Amino acid sequence: MKWMKQLFLRRRIYGDLSDEIQAHLEEKIEELVRRGMPRKEAAAAARREFGNVTLTKEDSREVWRWPSIENLLADIGYGLRMLRKSPGSTAAVVMALALGMGMNTTVFSFVNALLLRPPRRVEAPNKLVELWLHNRVASGIQGYLPLTYPDYVYYRDHNQSFTGLLAFDGDPEPVIWNRFGEGQVVQGQLVSGNFFSVLGVNAFLGRTFLPEDDQTGNPQPVVVLGHSFWQQRLGSDPRVVGKSLLLNGTNFNVIGVAPSGFAGLLVAIEPDFWVPATMIEQVTRDSGRLTNRQAYWLLAVGRLKPGVDATRARTEMNRLAGVMEQDHPDTNKNLGATVFPAALVPGPYRGYVSAFTGLLMAVFALVLLIACVNAASLLLARATGRAREMAIRSALGAGRGRLIRQMLVESTLLSGLAGSAGLVLAYWTAPLLLALKPASLPITLRIPLDWRVLAFTASVSLFTGLAFGLTPALRSAKAQVAPILKDEAQSASYRKSRLRSFLMIGEISTCVVLLVGATLCVRSLVNASSIDPGFDTQRVAVATLDPGSLGYSEAQVRSFYEQLSRHIGALPGVSSTSFVNHLPLGSAREQSSAIEGNRSAAGQKGVSVDVLRVAPGYFETMGIPLLRGRDFIPKESESSNQASAGAAIINDAMARKLWPSQDPVGRRIRLGEDTGLEIIGVVKTGKYRTLGEEPIPLVYLPRLPSRRTLVVRTSGDPTALLDAIRREIQTVDPNIAATDLETMQQYMTLPLFPARTTGLLLGASGILALVLTCIGLFGVISYIVSQRTHEIGVRMALGARRGDVLKLVFGHGLAVTSIGLAVGLAAAFGVTRFLSALLYGISPNDPVTLLSVSLGLALVALLACYLPARRAMRVDPMVALRYE
Amino acid sequence: MKNREQRDLFPGALEMMILRTLKRQPLHGYALAQVIKRTSNDLLQIEEGSLYPALQRLLKEELVKADWRISSTNRRVRIYKLTPAGAKHLEHEVSRFEKMLEGITRVLAPGES
Repeated sequence: MKWMKQLFLRRRIYGDLSDEIQAHLEEKIEELVRRGMPRKEAAAAARREFGNVTLTKEDSREVWRWPSIENLLADIGYGLRMLRKSPGSTAAVVMALALGMGMNTTVFSFVNALLLRPPRRVEAPNKLVELWLHNRVASGIQGYLPLTYPDYVYYRDHNQSFTGLLAFDGDPEPVIWNRFGEGQVVQGQLVSGNFFSVLGVNAFLGRTFLPEDDQTGNPQPVVVLGHSFWQQRLGSDPRVVGKSLLLNGTNFNVIGVAPSGFAGLLVAIEPDFWVPATMIEQVTRDSGRLTNRQAYWLLAVGRLKPGVDATRARTEMNRLAGVMEQDHPDTNKNLGATVFPAALVPGPYRGYVSAFTGLLMAVFALVLLIACVNAASLLLARATGRAREMAIRSALGAGRGRLIRQMLVESTLLSGLAGSAGLVLAYWTAPLLLALKPASLPITLRIPLDWRVLAFTASVSLFTGLAFGLTPALRSAKAQVAPILKDEAQSASYRKSRLRSFLMIGEISTCVVLLVGATLCVRSLVNASSIDPGFDTQRVAVATLDPGSLGYSEAQVRSFYEQLSRHIGALPGVSSTSFVNHLPLGSAREQSSAIEGNRSAAGQKGVSVDVLRVAPGYFETMGIPLLRGRDFIPKESESSNQASAGAAIINDAMARKLWPSQDPVGRRIRLGEDTGLEIIGVVKTGKYRTLGEEPIPLVYLPRLPSRRTLVVRTSGDPTALLDAIRREIQTVDPNIAATDLETMQQYMTLPLFPARTTGLLLGASGILALVLTCIGLFGVISYIVSQRTHEIGVRMALGARRGDVLKLVFGHGLAVTSIGLAVGLAAAFGVTRFLSALLYGISPNDPVTLLSVSLGLALVALLACYLPARRAMRVDPMVALRYE
Repeated sequence: MKNREQRDLFPGALEMMILRTLKRQPLHGYALAQVIKRTSNDLLQIEEGSLYPALQRLLKEELVKADWRISSTNRRVRIYKLTPAGAKHLEHEVSRFEKMLEGITRVLAPGES
């Protein structure tokens, strides 16, 4: 270990070297003295002949070093000392950069969680591809369809590309788990029998599914439990295998527990358990789905055979799709197939996710850019202050490269500190962002700060450090040594402040773009929150129930709901209760086509309408005004006699469409297969799909399916009512549990989610940008004032008035601000159209926004200039001149 | 980092001269500098200081070794001595240098082309 010996002996080697050189010089001097030279002259001559002692020592030591690393360490040590010397400005720069980097890290951690991270615990995830059907005549995302069960079976049994093709239900199935005579809602996932084996996931306890568990003729009621479900809900019971769980009224035999961390293949969904797809009838009471050729519900994932790539698999899948198209022209017409590399976000949606996260990344990259400009301009100022130091080091023989490296090391130190602080920031903000998610979405998104995020932050830190450090570094290394040492530095600084002014213009214009974006999004959020959804969201509680999933008969379902209505109606404060098949503005939707009168459909084009099914009292409970006619009566909703003419209530938009100037009450329509529906009332139009939509014609029908949402209006606080509702459901039937029990206000966070997220994030970016820009502007103007103190002093001594000085300093700030504003407005005009899809009721080039942002920024910027300008005004000529 | 003599001499020339000088007798730094200067008849412009980085390189490669002694003039000096490896290295370098010199001389020789 020669190098180790060298490492430890080095201190001695260096000591020897100094002694030796000292001895050399002494011997030389003595010899010269002996020859008759005066000692003083001899000492100078000896040194002259020897050369640069320091450089010699340094070169000699360098022999023993790993020079680059050790010089770097020395530079870092020196850099840290320099940063400690000015803690205030260091902290300011680090904080600004940390905010910028923290927000970037946060957004990136979402990108990572959604798009980059492979599914956990899965063997060789890069060999997995998703299989999607693709409708050749449809465009965009609508063209992509998951597989039907018959499709899946065909592809599974006929492909040559995969070692195995698995499938799973894309939507989590809420299932009622009966335990100790009480129901709780849990999330299950229906999967094919080869799900675990294709993924290479082994059971933590027991076993996973076998293909035999998942046979169409003979499905087995077996279940594999999720690891955290087993830990948290079953207390890590080691003997759980062989026990059974009562799920939606069927006893499922526990055969195994999945390994910890395994959560399937979909982002944000962590199933509590997995059951074979062929058990779908027991889980969802949907018996036809396994044979239905038009129910697209299975996401299929295949593991590529060795030597097969995605392109070859795609070609083969398309060939198989062609065969299917020939065999089943009625259902599979135009349906091709395609594959995507498997990831946690399904292939067709990745584009949307990356567009949105990309927008956020771009926004926060701009914030970071502003922080960088601040840091660069601070370093420039500091470099001017350190010109002397640099000149001395250069005079002592430090090379240009060495000086540049020193400056770059200092700037990367700053950005490294900021990067670490940014990571801490991201650690706190990512959960905060997740908290924006509506509580009713059954998703658990994990945002890990894993090695990808760390690598991202590290490279951003390094890159920003180099970016904002390079200009100051090059400048300081270029400095002329002699004039600086002779104290003639004054003249050089004005040019540097010009560079800083350019930086400021860039900063202000970036800030304008961000502020315009932020203002648009915040105003759009305000707009969206104030959109009238068409019903009263105050003092309403909701809960979704489905007794049918337990296998109850129609009579049992009816009796359950009747009792429940009575119980809830008797609660104190409750003024009315009703039911709807699904709430408006949710993800569920029923559409149909309506035709006026009773004529046959021949040659007549129907009006496309949305359909909601409601119980009597719905309009009263939801606060929807009844414009004409009457509400449903109980007899109409109970009647199971299909032959009797049904009743329907329509909304105003539908009435205007079909009978623009007549009273629709008493008229008849045909709705899909239902003929002779009599219109008995007209209600106010609301919002049904999204808050931003144009009025949609809608028909209310009185008959409800087993799955419905209870709506309750109270005179008090609906939050207080939630517990009472849960209790009453238990009292009426302990086996039934409600999903999505919440207040209407909580429910409304769902439709407002996109607007809130963008509003909040872009709002934050705008405020950050504004604050950073003000700090930057303040710094630049202060710096210019301090550099020109001498000049101002001379001017005042020569008779300039304070107003003139104010104008001088202020004028500079004004020029910088107005140029920045102009550039920024032009850029904003071009850039904001990328936001248009996210905006409610406001144009991306809204003039009021552009104008108010300009005025606001101008005001704030001038204030930032005023403070240093005032200081300049108060310069005492005597002090300023003596200062030299 | 580049020393002036490295620009004037070719790389390794100084080391070669040091090794050659030390082969005759072990010397300390100052004496080594004087001997090289004297024997070169002051034709080579060598800063005395530039010996030391070269000596450190030779020490590191274990071509020479050094010991502190008390000299005849009663000062504490560090005497450098050639190691067997150093002797071998010198031989090798000298023969390489001679070949190179021969080549250069031939090219520079007037008349023939």
